[in-house]
Amino acid sequence: MDRFLAQLWMARDAIAGGVLISMEAALTAIVIGSLLGLVIGLLLVYGHVVLRVLCRIYVDIIRGTPVLVLILAAFYITPAVGLQMDAFQAGLLALSLFCGAHLGEIVRGAVQSVPHGQTEAGRSIGLTFPQILAYVVLPQALRQALPPWVNTGVELVKASTLLSVIGVGELLLKTQEIVGRNFMTLEFYAVAGVLYLLINLGIETLGRNLEARVRP
Amino acid sequence: MGYTLNFAVVWADFHNLLWGLGLGLVLAVFAVAIGSGIGLIAAFASVGPSRAGRIIVRLYVSIMRNLPILVIVLVAYFGLPQIGIRLNKFESFVGSLALYSGAYLAEVFRAGLMGVPRGVVEAARAIGLTRLQTSLSVVVPIMLRNVLPALGSTFIGLFKDTSLAAAIAVPELTYQARKINVESFRVVETWTVTSALYVGTCLIIAAALRRLERRYPKF
Amino acid sequence: MTEPLAGRPLLQIRGLHKHFKEIEVLKGVDLTVHEREVVSIIGSSGSGKTTLLRCVNLLEEFDGGEIVLDGESIGYRVRRGRRHRLPDRLLSRQRAMTGMVFQNFNLFPHLTALRNVMLGLTKVRRMQRDEARVLAQTWLGRVGLAQRMESYPSQLSGGQQQRVAIARALAMNPKLVLLDEVTSALDPELVQEVLATVKSLADEGATLLIVTHEMGFARQVSHRVVFMDKGQIAEQGAPAEIFERPASARLAEFLGSARR
Repeated sequence: MDRFLAQLWMARDAIAGGVLISMEAALTAIVIGSLLGLVIGLLLVYGHVVLRVLCRIYVDIIRGTPVLVLILAAFYITPAVGLQMDAFQAGLLALSLFCGAHLGEIVRGAVQSVPHGQTEAGRSIGLTFPQILAYVVLPQALRQALPPWVNTGVELVKASTLLSVIGVGELLLKTQEIVGRNFMTLEFYAVAGVLYLLINLGIETLGRNLEARVRP
Repeated sequence: MGYTLNFAVVWADFHNLLWGLGLGLVLAVFAVAIGSGIGLIAAFASVGPSRAGRIIVRLYVSIMRNLPILVIVLVAYFGLPQIGIRLNKFESFVGSLALYSGAYLAEVFRAGLMGVPRGVVEAARAIGLTRLQTSLSVVVPIMLRNVLPALGSTFIGLFKDTSLAAAIAVPELTYQARKINVESFRVVETWTVTSALYVGTCLIIAAALRRLERRYPKF
Repeated sequence: MTEPLAGRPLLQIRGLHKHFKEIEVLKGVDLTVHEREVVSIIGSSGSGKTTLLRCVNLLEEFDGGEIVLDGESIGYRVRRGRRHRLPDRLLSRQRAMTGMVFQNFNLFPHLTALRNVMLGLTKVRRMQRDEARVLAQTWLGRVGLAQRMESYPSQLSGGQQQRVAIARALAMNPKLVLLDEVTSALDPELVQEVLATVKSLADEGATLLIVTHEMGFARQVSHRVVFMDKGQIAEQGAPAEIFERPASARLAEFLGSARR
């Protein structure tokens, strides 16, 4: 036990650094992904046929492909086509595209679940389409979409572990490096596991508070 | 841009990709079978009379749904030998995936159990069936029909998760793709074909699932 | 009206008490049903009549009193002065001695009509498949549904489903059949076929305990009518007495509102 605690203390910077990178990846991806998802979701509902088809293809391809494959593809393809990115940026690209596709579906579902009568009521009092979206449809739709959105956040934190495969120094890779030095495999994987649990449970708790605040 | 497409290299090794795809499906089937067993037991426990049982299931589900699968896979393969449990790659991966999916399936089956009409259960008890007989002959058959859609989409998710086996060098589709990529440097071709294989398989499974749901609609 | 052929006492309910949380639903009910007797229970909702029925076939627990079926005290045993609910295996065996037909039929949706009737025979009475099939077919024929035995419940009308439910209960050869508002969930034109089936059972000498608000039917088929009010039996007697010469004000009020 003493040896473990000593090793843990020695590794504290590495572990902390790993957690930061994991969180940075997940947070950035969810911000980009949310914006992307909002646009795609709205296009899927209201867009011109061609746009709807393109978005549908994008969503279906991304959702049908495992995240690891997306990450590996981004990692290998970007330098080959002339885009200079480091591993972290390539991984971020993959995670953002993944998040955008998932949130696009969620937004689409949420917007379609707002009863059509709401839009009609908005029109009948003379609101323009952008006004109806902003004041009537989206407030209701986004409220609906909140739980799955929080869930996607948790999925992104879990997916950030896959960045270790392309050499990004997030928590899992750091854990593997530590274990490579001191061979205390179970102990340090347990530490990583507990950290992930805490992060995700924290996200879910924040999500619940947000939901409580937003629901009348 | 300076990149010319050349699919021939990928077609030459296409059989390896297909082999990897098949292996992925096999792993998914085993994982979903074992996971369903775990999930069913957990679902019954979560609505059952034992308070300890209910708490254990809640803990299990909470932990497994918040842990990254890759962590579970690596712990099972690299960590367990430390306490004397030595499993080969396939066993440890299927076990990890089964444990992980069991948590999701527990929720799916629990919702299914709650969806069985109470009156039908009472009718079974009224003719003298014991709790066990009622569960086996009445509750489970009805529940399975009701959970079919959720079970199907969980299976599709599991199939995609088999890509993680590549991290412990199990030669499924993603591992094969990476091998071709590294040897041939045909990056765009390799990954588009691999992605197409995954997407195509998922679409086929989803279509088969829809047909199955039409034949056996919910009660 | 069928002539009373009162046999020995088959069901004896003594001092039955039950509460749901703080509300006392049954406040000391005493009732005896004899072999081959048809007893109908009437009363407004909340009078406890359905709860009483569900206590008899042990779907509900009761807090005080005793239920004796064919000489056997069911549901509980007393050990060293304390009352214990019997274990599931014994309860199931006791439940098989009564048959119940529910308001919502509660047929097993994943089984054909035939298999609905066969399930209890094979699993509880442990019959061989072939023997069970023949018996089930006979009972389905008896309720007029031999042609529909391979149909699933979703393919049958409400009246047909209820008749299958009756066959399912009777195929088990129970000592007593409990009928809980068996026509309440049916469209009016389907009510008659079910009532006719129940009447034919009564004519053949079955012992029936019926909860109903079809007053005309209760009058036609019963040897005795019981009026329940607020968890107790307020009045009971022959149908003619109950419906034409109600002794208590409460019963008169109930019948008055029922006729409207």
